[in-house]
Amino acid sequence: MTGHPDAGSAEPSDVSLVRPYVMTSGSSQEPRSPIEIEAQVLTSELGLAAAEQLRFELRDIVALCRCTVAVAEVAAALRLHIGVARVLIAELADRGLVTVHRPDGELGTDPGTIERIIRGLEALR
Amino acid sequence: MDSKHSADRGARRPPIPVKIVIGGGFGVGKTTAVGAISEISPLTTEASITSVAAEIDRTSEMPEKTTTTVALDFGCITVDDELKLYLFGTPGQDRFGFMWQDLVQGALGALVLVDSRRLGDCYPAVDYFERIGLPFVIAVNLFDGRLSHDLDDVRWALAVHEDVPLITVDARARMSVRDALLAVLRRARDRTMLPRI
Repeated sequence: MTGHPDAGSAEPSDVSLVRPYVMTSGSSQEPRSPIEIEAQVLTSELGLAAAEQLRFELRDIVALCRCTVAVAEVAAALRLHIGVARVLIAELADRGLVTVHRPDGELGTDPGTIERIIRGLEALR
Repeated sequence: MDSKHSADRGARRPPIPVKIVIGGGFGVGKTTAVGAISEISPLTTEASITSVAAEIDRTSEMPEKTTTTVALDFGCITVDDELKLYLFGTPGQDRFGFMWQDLVQGALGALVLVDSRRLGDCYPAVDYFERIGLPFVIAVNLFDGRLSHDLDDVRWALAVHEDVPLITVDARARMSVRDALLAVLRRARDRTMLPRI
């Protein structure tokens, strides 16, 4: 009806204009153990110093993570697919421009930690 | 002067993240529950779920594996100086199954929200959490503050083990959501006390 040139083509119409591998400079390889969506990202001194030289999407992450931000928050704030955010954060971490504080796998089974969270929530008003 | 900035940055150690997953059918109040207690407005990001669609789309020509982009809602609560609790609402499109190892990896436990008028919507979440052995609590959301079925009837209909806590929650009310999360945490804590088989 609108005469869109792609109408009726085999390509699904809801695909983002910017594909993930474009955003990540061709790298679609996630780290061996993908960074958890709640992992905390903090820009390093090196990242602050290098910010101006970074390509735009990396620069946005470095600017956002001056204060600690979770991977999922990076994705939400910069409107990135969470998989893309992960790849970009992994690249920044590899280059030492951010530090990623990943959750401790043992914590979920540590009664002392769970008890602390219980006390913290009980204190909410 | 030159030592100052590094000392400053060292002083604010990032918190240790922990998470609870909130599951249940579409429109059952997951985002409402996250919003009721989160210290930030619930945020949304896009995520992918990969699923095997063979059962549902048997008649179609879809490939066996399908990746679907879904919205992932989340919020957070600062527990203390060191711990930050994240709440992730699972995407509502349950027909695509629950291949969300990512989302659930390392979670302390799960809260399954139920609309007692649409009990079946929570089955995929219950099945999934049972299968992977994640501690969970089922909470019937009191739409309009009323319960349309007796809790015992709900338990019977869901056919969940009598050990699984079944509670009510008002997803709009902060303290009610807090109490539901506390039920999940106590369940998780009790699980850690059990002797390993």
